[in-house]
Amino acid sequence: MDNRVYIIGRDSVPQYLRLDAGEELAMTLVVPPGTDVQLALEIDLTGPGASLDLAGLYLCREAERVDLRVLVRHSSGGGTSRQLFKGIVGGTARAAFDGLIYVAQDAQKTQAYQENHTILLSDAARVESRPQLEIYADDVQCSHGATTGYLNPDELFYLRSRGIPEAEARRLQMVAFLAPVLRRLPEPLSEEIYAGLS
Amino acid sequence: MDELIKDLSAQEYKEGFVTEVDQEYVPKGLNEDIVRLISAKKGEPEWLLEFRLDALRRWQRMTPPQWGHLKLPRIDFQDIIYWAAPKRPEDRPNEIDPALMETFDKLGIPLREREMLAGVKPKGEVAVDAVFDSVSVTTTFRKTLAEKGIIFCSFSEAVREHPDLVRKYLASVVPVGDNFYAALNSAVFSDGSFCYVPKGVKCPMELSSYFRINAAGTGQFERTLIVADEGAQLSYLEGCTAPMRDENQLHAAVVEIVVEKDADVKYSTVQNWYPGDAQGRGGILNLVTKRGICKGTGSHLSWTQVETGSAITWKYPSTILKGDYSSSEFYSVAMTNNWQQADTGTKMIHLGRGTRSRVVSKGISAGHSQNSYRGLVQMGPAAEGARNYSQCDSLLIGSLCGAHTFPVIRNQNPHAVVEHEATTSKISEDQLFYCNQRGIAPEDAVALIVGGYAREVLSRLPMEFAVEAQKLLSLSLEGAVG
Repeated sequence: MDNRVYIIGRDSVPQYLRLDAGEELAMTLVVPPGTDVQLALEIDLTGPGASLDLAGLYLCREAERVDLRVLVRHSSGGGTSRQLFKGIVGGTARAAFDGLIYVAQDAQKTQAYQENHTILLSDAARVESRPQLEIYADDVQCSHGATTGYLNPDELFYLRSRGIPEAEARRLQMVAFLAPVLRRLPEPLSEEIYAGLS
Repeated sequence: MDELIKDLSAQEYKEGFVTEVDQEYVPKGLNEDIVRLISAKKGEPEWLLEFRLDALRRWQRMTPPQWGHLKLPRIDFQDIIYWAAPKRPEDRPNEIDPALMETFDKLGIPLREREMLAGVKPKGEVAVDAVFDSVSVTTTFRKTLAEKGIIFCSFSEAVREHPDLVRKYLASVVPVGDNFYAALNSAVFSDGSFCYVPKGVKCPMELSSYFRINAAGTGQFERTLIVADEGAQLSYLEGCTAPMRDENQLHAAVVEIVVEKDADVKYSTVQNWYPGDAQGRGGILNLVTKRGICKGTGSHLSWTQVETGSAITWKYPSTILKGDYSSSEFYSVAMTNNWQQADTGTKMIHLGRGTRSRVVSKGISAGHSQNSYRGLVQMGPAAEGARNYSQCDSLLIGSLCGAHTFPVIRNQNPHAVVEHEATTSKISEDQLFYCNQRGIAPEDAVALIVGGYAREVLSRLPMEFAVEAQKLLSLSLEGAVG
């Protein structure tokens, strides 16, 4: 399966995608630091057995405004969708993620999952997460999870007690947090993001 | 399984009877004169009339909220009788109308204080405030409670006898203009319960209010105010029923709870308003605002609700966690069948440091019903070290219903943690097969599985209520599976 990578602010991102019977799509969205964005993306699984693998990450360090809205619509049965969005938000940035999984009445045997995790780095940063499920079919497995939190001080202590300087240790924590999305990116891009975490 | 899910038959709603009592009404409609009339009938002081009129003026400028995942029928607010009360002898409370007594007996609500046996301590007793349409008919065990300094009476009496307390706390948690229905309630509220537990007092028995809509063409607009002073402790239950009618009836209540330093309040609801028939005709529109504030350090407020009734439920019991290290919980089971719609959930607003909250919501939808969880968890800038965990599960029975989850998480503090998870599933064939194989009939098996699914919430209810709620759940499920 091809993995399409879109860098917000550099690439143009489609607003609407349709997946027909048996079609598969893997897609990764990257919001690099310093990008203000308001993005609305709708993906419609219209054919039976379509499959979507969607991931995204957003990094905000200063005064960015990031607003991501993702609608995944299962209009046909037997489809699978997976979403994973991760964000690190610092400075005075505001980041919002709004993700809706819609399962129509005929879309039996749908499997849909969504996750959104964010880490706050500063007092003035704000995050909002609205993971939503709208389900009209009964024979489905759907779940979502959302967390917001901070870099674990125990982990930091562990790394520092092993001689890793604090700044480097924090960077490692962030890399580990982002890893599930980072490893979907081509190497030059993930290198660039590594370098940007400091 | 497909065979099991057959069309839903009308379930029996055993509280659907009407009591014949002489009632007096105010004229239909809502305007300043009606508000003045209601206030005059209750013999209210000037300040309360002003409060009502202010609310009415605000309400007239407001529009009903549209954001719920609900199909609300248009409500003609001028076609409702805002006050109805059973006529009764003036020398209350010597005698309660036998018809009323019978009504509450039939509903299993004890209005007579059971005589105590010499030397035997009464166990598991409940003080009841019974509200029939717009007035409170009786409040039991008032003397026992008064000995401890606890005030438990109808709202109207509280206005007469404890005006200072009422004035201090009324609308302090739910402001007059909070929302459309809260403003409506503030203008026309009839009766409800008032409860004050003084400093350091532990309430020796469960307090409870029982609401009954009886008259046709009316709405019920009760107002409940609960105050737990420093270190106080109380557990409060609320129950409600209404007759079966083809028209919708409006129920717009406001509940306010104030929890001071180190106090502990537990508020439980078993909501069983008439849900409408199998074709979706009639039923109560339950549009309620409930909110509590954990005002002081270390205070605690716990909400438990079992929602099985009402054609439409629009209700979000919420907690403002203002005191440092205060905590709150929300446990909910919402069951919808036939054409019922529920949009319910909670708001946890963390303001103080180290505040904690936990949300457990279990939705069950069957028939053609729609069941939504809607919630907000907010971590304010000062909510250092605050923590929330939410879990919202939905269970679907049959392919024509819907289950939805609309949570909002807002974090403004880098040292606060919020976790939310939600799942949607149905009762699996395997689970049913396992039960059937062991000789458990399909309907019992479903009741068993649903009971297990809702257990975490039901176990939070006081004993007698838990049994009642379990029964209510299986009754509501009746006809959902063949």
